[in-house]
Amino acid sequence: MESNPVQQNPDDPRSVLAVADQARQRLAAGLRLPAGLHPALAAAVAIQIGAAAYGIANHTTAGLAVALAGVAIFMGVAALTLYRFQRINGVRVDGLTSQIVLGTGLTSTLAYVGAFGAATWAAFESRWWLVAAAAVAGGVGYAFGTLRWWHAYRHDPAAHAGGVSPRMLAALAVLACLGLVALLVAG
Amino acid sequence: MAKLDPLIHAPARLQVVTTLSAVSEAEFATLRAALEVSDSVLSKHVSALADAGYVRSRKGVQAGRRTTWIGLTSAGREALREHVAALRQLIDMVD
Repeated sequence: MESNPVQQNPDDPRSVLAVADQARQRLAAGLRLPAGLHPALAAAVAIQIGAAAYGIANHTTAGLAVALAGVAIFMGVAALTLYRFQRINGVRVDGLTSQIVLGTGLTSTLAYVGAFGAATWAAFESRWWLVAAAAVAGGVGYAFGTLRWWHAYRHDPAAHAGGVSPRMLAALAVLACLGLVALLVAG
Repeated sequence: MAKLDPLIHAPARLQVVTTLSAVSEAEFATLRAALEVSDSVLSKHVSALADAGYVRSRKGVQAGRRTTWIGLTSAGREALREHVAALRQLIDMVD
């Protein structure tokens, strides 16, 4: 992101604000997403959706294991992605963490929920090609949502930097796994 | 009416908190590069802001070396929001 340097006049509030904004933009403009983030995230989400749909429809210990393996793969890819982002850039952005792990953006949420519902229905009907298609569509939509969030963040970093803290995420991950187990056992 | 905050009224301090508002935490060297200041200048400002509870810092490891991570606290974000609002009011009055 190119910008013209603003000459600071400490007595001029407009100049003081402009210089401060410029420093913030300089930081945000220098941030880079890890290479291959979007394909890796799309694949991980697709695997998680497909595995969960199979596990829910299957009602067996093997199904439970497959569903939990899907969650583990997704969490592993998400954790690696966030670690690489932090290592490359020297910053942590909770908004990105929330977007990648929880899919908090509207696009990601709609893509995930729609694909998960379609994949689960298809799994109960044993239409496995449809499970795969829904999972892939969900993964691509989820990754597209992350891309949209990234553009919004680069445009206005302060408004999009906030999100769920790593501790809260760890707690949510445990809850999600317990919820999945309960769903499978009850089913 | 929003009030100016004397602690972040100095342009350099305002730059520190404004830049930190873009992230949850930044490594010391990353922040120094974005602000284009020396280690000692940044350390001084971070210490003053930490004493006021506007920023928090913690030791960590980045790419195998020890470093310091700095982030705005909720009090710091609120102070920044209020200060920027006060500056904008001043600009509006001048205009």
